[in-house]
Amino acid sequence: MAKDSQSVRVGANGKQGLTNSDLNKLWYRWQVGWFATSSYEKLETHGFAWSYIPFAEKFYADDPEGKKELLLRHSQFYNTEPQVGTIINGIVASMEEDIALGGETPNELPVSIKTTLMGPLASLGDSVIQGIIVPTLLSIGMSIAADGSAAGPLFYIVSWLIIGMGLSYGLFRYGYKMGLNALDIFVGENSRRIMDAINVVGIIITGTLAASMISVKTIVQIPMGSEMSALQDTLNGVFPGLLALITVLFTYWMLNKKQYTATKTMLILVVAVIVLCAVTFL
Amino acid sequence: MLALQAALVGIFSYLAAIEAANPLGTTGSFYCLGRPLVAGLVLGLIFGDVTQGVLCGVAVQAVFIANLSTGGATNAEISYASYAGMGLAMATTKDPAIAVTLSVLVGNSFGLIFYNLRMAFYSVINNKEYDAAAAGDTKALNFWHIVVSQICTFLIRFLPAFIAVYFGQGFVDVLISSVPELVTHMIQVLGGVLPALGVGMLMNIVVKEKTQLVFFFLGFVLFAFAGLGTIPVVFIAAVVAYLVYLASGKSAAGEVLTSSADAAYEDADLF
Repeated sequence: MAKDSQSVRVGANGKQGLTNSDLNKLWYRWQVGWFATSSYEKLETHGFAWSYIPFAEKFYADDPEGKKELLLRHSQFYNTEPQVGTIINGIVASMEEDIALGGETPNELPVSIKTTLMGPLASLGDSVIQGIIVPTLLSIGMSIAADGSAAGPLFYIVSWLIIGMGLSYGLFRYGYKMGLNALDIFVGENSRRIMDAINVVGIIITGTLAASMISVKTIVQIPMGSEMSALQDTLNGVFPGLLALITVLFTYWMLNKKQYTATKTMLILVVAVIVLCAVTFL
Repeated sequence: MLALQAALVGIFSYLAAIEAANPLGTTGSFYCLGRPLVAGLVLGLIFGDVTQGVLCGVAVQAVFIANLSTGGATNAEISYASYAGMGLAMATTKDPAIAVTLSVLVGNSFGLIFYNLRMAFYSVINNKEYDAAAAGDTKALNFWHIVVSQICTFLIRFLPAFIAVYFGQGFVDVLISSVPELVTHMIQVLGGVLPALGVGMLMNIVVKEKTQLVFFFLGFVLFAFAGLGTIPVVFIAAVVAYLVYLASGKSAAGEVLTSSADAAYEDADLF
C-alpha cells in the first residue's frame, strides 16, 4: 500500500483520495481533540471519531449508511500515547482512504488494527515521551534556569515543540505512507536492540535526575574529638547524596515491589519526613 | 489588577489542561504550557516578575519532574498545580518554597478530586457522542465533543484557579504567619524528598529488569560524585547506549557461534 504522498489516489469508484490538506486536518484534529471528552470508561475513544468528521463529510456526503459505519467504527474503545501513537492514525487513514475509494480493505480492519496496536504503542510511547524525552529536556531547561533566567523555559519550549511535534506529525505521515509496513520499524531483532539501547539512556538520565532533584540532608551532629561536627559533612566525604539514594530506592521499592499506589507512597513519605523531623534527624 | 491577573491565570489553567481542546494541540498545551517550568515563565510575565516566576517554576518542576498520565490515571494534577497552586504563590509571596507547598497541596488534593470527578462525569457526554455517531450526525458529534466538553472543562479549570489567586491571599498569610517553625522546616524537607516519588515512578517505567539498576547508579554517581550536569550526562548516556547496542548484537551472534561450535566440536571439549 506504499504510495507517493504528493499524488492523490483515484479510487475504483472514481472518487479522489486524501489530499495533503485532508491528511493534515486528520492529524491536527487528533492533536487538538484526542482527550477532549475523556472519561475512565472511554478515554480517547471519541477523539478518534471527531478527527474523522471532515473525512466523513468529504467521502460519505451522499452515503448516510457509510458515514454512520465510519463514525461508529471509530467510536470503539481506544487509548494510546497521543504523540507516538499517531503512527496508528496514519495507518488507519490509509485504510479508511482505501475503503472510501472502494478498495479491497475490509471494513473491520481499521478497528482491529487500532485494538491490536494501541497497547504496544502506549507502552513504547509512554516510556519514550514521558520517561525519557520530556524529563531530559525539562532537566536541561531547569539547569539553564537555575538563576531565574527565562532562557531555561524557552529552551524547553523550543526543543520540545520541535521534537514532540516532529515525532507526532512525522509518524502520522509515515504511517499513512507505509500502511501496515510502517510497523516494520518496531519488529525484528535489530529494532528491539535499538529500543533497548534508547531505554538505557532513559535509565541513566533517571539516575541523574534522582541525584540532582532529590535533596535529603541530616541535621544530626556527631562528636569529633572535643568538637561536634555535622554528620552530613562526613557523609558528603564518603558518598554525597547517599540519603537521597536511599530515599529513592525506598520509594521505588514501595511502588515496584509492594505495588503501592502513588498516593499511598506519598503519604508514607510524608509521615516518614514528619517523624524524622520530629526526632531531629532531618 | 488582581482580578485581571487571576483571570489570566484561570485562562492558562484551562489552556494547559490535558482535556483542553487547545489550538496548540496536546504537544503545545499539556506537554508544554502545563509543565511547571513553562508555567513559571507565564506566571512571571502575568505578575511582572519573570525571575521569581522562573525560580518558582524550577522548584515546582523538580517535584513534578515525572508527572505521568497513563491509561487516564495520573499521579498528580499537574495543570492545577502549575497554575492554581503556583499562581497563588506568585500572587502573594513569590517564594519558591511556598510555591512548592501550594502546588503539591493543590495538585495532589483538590486538583486530583476535580480531575477524577470530571473523568467520571464525562461518560454522560460519551453516550451522547456515541448516539451522534450512530446517527451519522457530525454536527451533534462536534457539539458534544467540543462545545459542551470545553464549556465544562473551562469552568472546572478556570474557576478554581481564579478563586485561588483572587481570594487566596488570606489563606497564604495564615499559612505563613501561624505555622510553627517545625512545620515550616518539615515543608522544606518535604520539598526535597517529594521528587523521589516522581523519580520512583519514572524508574517503574524505564527499568525493565533488576540488572538495569546499574545504569541508574551510573547516572546517579555521575552527578553525585563527578558533579556532571544533565547535558554531559546525555552524551555519556548516548555512548553507553551505543555500547549496549553493540554488546547485545555480540551476545546474540555469540550464542549462534557457541551453539554451532558445540555441535561441531562436542568431543573436543576436553580441558
